[in-house]
Amino acid sequence: MKKQALNFTVNKQQESIQVTPRTRLLDALRLDLGLIGTKEGCGTGDCGSCTVLLDGNAVNSCMVLALQAEGRDVTTIEGLGEPGILDPVQQAMVRSGGIQCGFCTPGMVLSLKGLFDGNPNPSEEDVRIAVSSNLCRCTGYTKIFDAAQALSEGSLQAQAADGNDDAIGARMVRTDAVEKVTGGAVYAEDIQLPRMIYGALVRSTHAHARILSVDTTGALKLPGVKAVVTGRDIDMGYYGYELHDQRVFALEKARYLGEPIAAVAAVTADIAREAASLVKVEYEELPAVFDPEEAMSPDAPLVHDEPNAYQFDWESERKGNLCYRLEVGEGDVAQGFAEADEVVEGTYHTPEAHAGAIEPHSATAMADPGGRITIWTTTQKPFAVRSYLARALERKISSFKVIPTHIGGGFGGKLYPVLEPYVVLLAERSGLPVQMTLSRDEEMATAALLRHPSKVTIKTGVRKDGALVAQQVRMLFNTGAYGPYGPNTAALGSLMAGGPYRIPNLDITGLVTYSNNVPKGSIRCPSGPQMAFAVETHMEKVARAVGMDGLAFRLKNAWDNGDTTCTGQVLEAVSIKECLKKAAAAVDWDETCPPGTGKGLACNWWVSGTWGTQTLLETNEDATFRLISGCVDMGTGGMTSSVLQMAAAGLGVPAESIQLVRGDTDTLPWDHGHGGSRMTFTIARSAYEAAQDLKQQLLEEAAGQLEAAVDDMVLENGRIFVRGDRSNSVALAQICYNRHKKHGGPMIGVSSILDDAPPTTKPHPIGAFPAPSFCAHAVELSVDDDTGEIAVTRYAAAHDVGKAINPTGCEGQIEGGVAMGLGLAMMEELREVNGKVLNPSFADYLLVSAEDMPPMQTILVEQPAVEGPMGVKGVGEPPIAPPTGAVANALADALDVDVQRLPLTPEQVSTLIATRTHGQ
Amino acid sequence: MANSFEFTQPRDVAEALDALAQPGRVMPMAGGTNIMVNMKRAPLEADLVVDLTRLEELMPISAANGTIRMGAGVSFARLLEWQPGGALEGLMKPMCIAFAGPLIRNLATAGGNICDASAAADISPPLLALDATVELDSAAGGIRTLPLPEFFLGVRRTARRPDELLTAVEFPCPAADERWFYYKLGKRKADAISIVSIAMTVKLVQGRVERARIALGAVAPVAMHARETENLLQGEPLNEVTIGAAAATAAREARPIDDFRATGAYRRQMVETLVKRGLNHIAQQDK
Repeated sequence: MKKQALNFTVNKQQESIQVTPRTRLLDALRLDLGLIGTKEGCGTGDCGSCTVLLDGNAVNSCMVLALQAEGRDVTTIEGLGEPGILDPVQQAMVRSGGIQCGFCTPGMVLSLKGLFDGNPNPSEEDVRIAVSSNLCRCTGYTKIFDAAQALSEGSLQAQAADGNDDAIGARMVRTDAVEKVTGGAVYAEDIQLPRMIYGALVRSTHAHARILSVDTTGALKLPGVKAVVTGRDIDMGYYGYELHDQRVFALEKARYLGEPIAAVAAVTADIAREAASLVKVEYEELPAVFDPEEAMSPDAPLVHDEPNAYQFDWESERKGNLCYRLEVGEGDVAQGFAEADEVVEGTYHTPEAHAGAIEPHSATAMADPGGRITIWTTTQKPFAVRSYLARALERKISSFKVIPTHIGGGFGGKLYPVLEPYVVLLAERSGLPVQMTLSRDEEMATAALLRHPSKVTIKTGVRKDGALVAQQVRMLFNTGAYGPYGPNTAALGSLMAGGPYRIPNLDITGLVTYSNNVPKGSIRCPSGPQMAFAVETHMEKVARAVGMDGLAFRLKNAWDNGDTTCTGQVLEAVSIKECLKKAAAAVDWDETCPPGTGKGLACNWWVSGTWGTQTLLETNEDATFRLISGCVDMGTGGMTSSVLQMAAAGLGVPAESIQLVRGDTDTLPWDHGHGGSRMTFTIARSAYEAAQDLKQQLLEEAAGQLEAAVDDMVLENGRIFVRGDRSNSVALAQICYNRHKKHGGPMIGVSSILDDAPPTTKPHPIGAFPAPSFCAHAVELSVDDDTGEIAVTRYAAAHDVGKAINPTGCEGQIEGGVAMGLGLAMMEELREVNGKVLNPSFADYLLVSAEDMPPMQTILVEQPAVEGPMGVKGVGEPPIAPPTGAVANALADALDVDVQRLPLTPEQVSTLIATRTHGQ
Repeated sequence: MANSFEFTQPRDVAEALDALAQPGRVMPMAGGTNIMVNMKRAPLEADLVVDLTRLEELMPISAANGTIRMGAGVSFARLLEWQPGGALEGLMKPMCIAFAGPLIRNLATAGGNICDASAAADISPPLLALDATVELDSAAGGIRTLPLPEFFLGVRRTARRPDELLTAVEFPCPAADERWFYYKLGKRKADAISIVSIAMTVKLVQGRVERARIALGAVAPVAMHARETENLLQGEPLNEVTIGAAAATAAREARPIDDFRATGAYRRQMVETLVKRGLNHIAQQDK
């Protein structure tokens, strides 16, 4: 296509470039002008991450053709402030903690900038509306509203003093905030390499079909195509998480609609997509199965012909489409039901849901002629990318070097290889660097690694006085065509099946079935929102059956210290009752609700970490330090705040003197990855231990120089001195300098951590939750009786974080988790019919927007865990679970109905209202 | 090759009409917020894109001789700032707030939303309730006008000929005592595609309906008047009986479909609910 001249002003500079008519303003800014701060989250005007100011008005740059900007004035994030000086909007965002993964941040800042330029004192309502097109999946918007309020009130200066403090418990500003708020942070799609080409996938057009032939001739003939790869011309091994049942390409048959069959690379992404459409695949359609109950019937079509041939790290019965079965229990439920005064039954359904990170998957690979391959990717587990690739492509782990980029939101969606194998194969085949980025449609429909849909049936026996005596739970999870995380989801779910309650007789069954649906993954708090919905909605029903208030009922049955879980874990540092009381009080639980309104409670428990990691803390010559960890930060900010705060505390120096090393799998020590609420519990604790190790070495060195006992050494304000004699001292910088110059190198503190799980008495693949965290949420809402619309009017979340190393970070996790949980409760549902996702976009798969976010009260409870020096408990995942149950219970309170199904869309609520009317 | 088209940016309507008269597949583009979505998913079916964003003639809103003339190029952001008062503002303002989000409102135009002719297009119900006509201009045929209901032919099909440009929307300025109701039901507060939307204007004279306009969005292949309901109300007082009958009639007139946003049954039920709510609201308005 012929290029035309485009003359316009960008960030006050006159620019003249050549673009094609189809070039979007977004592409011109990113690719032609290198302004990578403008992000593409969807390309369909639904997320706002590409926001720029066009003649002062905030617009989506993906919705504008570049040539339409002729003669106009464009401001991107790079145009705000001056070099080294942030714009006030940027300052406010940095100081308030309104930045997490940072992918939405440039767009968010520009929308706020557009607002404040026209109105320096906007109301909160103005702010909510102004950023309502800018989806943020991390923060729950609350800290962004705080930023706007500080800006509006001119209270930025007051905040600044607070923000500089980096002690334990202080609201230290994360060290990557400035990089992110200025648009400088480099994400996977921002990687640009010389001669780079682009990949696309050929995907199965059937949910279940035998592949008879794959003809790549047409694709190879298309000018601009550089490589085509199919499963028939490479070596493929099976890979997976616990269960290794998946290969890179479908070979004999395709098991879900959209399964990759071939990959192509071409000089432009457009040509690559066209080439993909020219690969001819001949299919023989097979009968398919989608419903998990049907999948378990003996005559159901088999998704995997020989599931027992796959390597599986756990033991389980597997036959037909049953991918995993788990049973765990305690006592005798039959006897328990016999002793109960009431037996209450219920079945609860949750739909497929998407992690919803605003950044789509993107990966780039380059193969060197010697055979080594470098991969830039957006991953929560860079080291696992290597091992997955090694298994999938039958190579050595050491053949891969993975460079993790900034992650534009993970939430579990970036735990597993999605594009990495294809860019590797295409880079090898073409000899060129290859980049592949999923479109939003692909991201939602085929590569999603969705949250497992669930069907949970519960039968509970209770005494008149409200004491729980028995509970039987059957959980059914549909893992789709492959089961990378199905077994793990069921195993985690089984630990929540009895809630955080004392139930003497328990019988829990977890079932995971294969089907011809899109494979499911391990999304933030896997099985948590499903189980919190089922168990907590059911508990409310049980409480009503014995005429008890939901809070009183929970307080009667909730765990105390010394209680045991279904696997026999003896609990310590239990705080569930404190969380319940505080959350309930925050919504004035005891005050009666007017008609049409209701209040609800839900509580849960969850694991902190852990898995293995190693941290090094190394001296520089001037007594600054390098913190070296292989863990990446998916956006929460743990790595750039609480980990540094813990290291600083362990060493006794300011956090600002510790530099976080950003590296790759060649240079950093191995780590499991970012997930499982482990950042502050595991990584920060490891950093603390490494710091203590280094401190000991420094003190020993000082003791030698000062000719005194090590035990008498004190480190303070950058000097080490002899206790009781401040005149006898040596500067830390002097010790470091001497070590480097005279003893051949730095001092390095080392910590390797792999926690033992707490002991249990029952066989179970997970067994126990180390340093379990507890939480309770309370919600107040009103319902429009005619339309079924819900308005959440108040929301309180109380979380036991053990010790809040950085309260801003803890609150950010909670507020963001609540936003995500409210989405699951009220609007998020990926609708799959016969294996086809009907709503693969942010226009039709709705995330909570700034206008939907209720006023939040975030309550930090600190009941220190027995593990670790500070008593930290994980907080990354837990906040997403209780909103489902809390909203369902508030709705039940408002309408006197049984809620059995999420999400509670207006139509779903309207259906509930109709059943009530008919019942009366 | 995919997405191969030419681009032209006319400076005035005359130039735009000449461009639209070119042979081949010519696509006028205003805010672009639908076209760009389509282009992301598939090659644009166009040989020439005619950019309408510089046609300042299409931007003003004016009033003369009891008629409001809204240029097709007016953006939703601009429309949101417009403060005509009364029924006009009562319909337009909440519609604009419910229309997508602020980023899209800064781009999308009234004319674009009409020409896209989605059944769920937010601007359609208010304009139908205001008895709007559209003005089409072409180099060959000159100006013609069409009542809005005749402009919508079917799912994303309109009476606009390929060489025609929708230049303006006109409607009689509502009287000061004109009563109104607007509601958009979606799954999210901001930026949601409507499940059902409804716009009403009613003129009451001595407690009886002199003229009622009830327009419904997202419940039929095109945005529609509930004609039978409007006729039913003619000359009637607004009371429980007439309102109940009107609501039931409107629900019957709607032709909603099932999709992933809602079932047809729920949409139909909501038509009844919202017509009832709207007429009750109107009966009590300004008292």
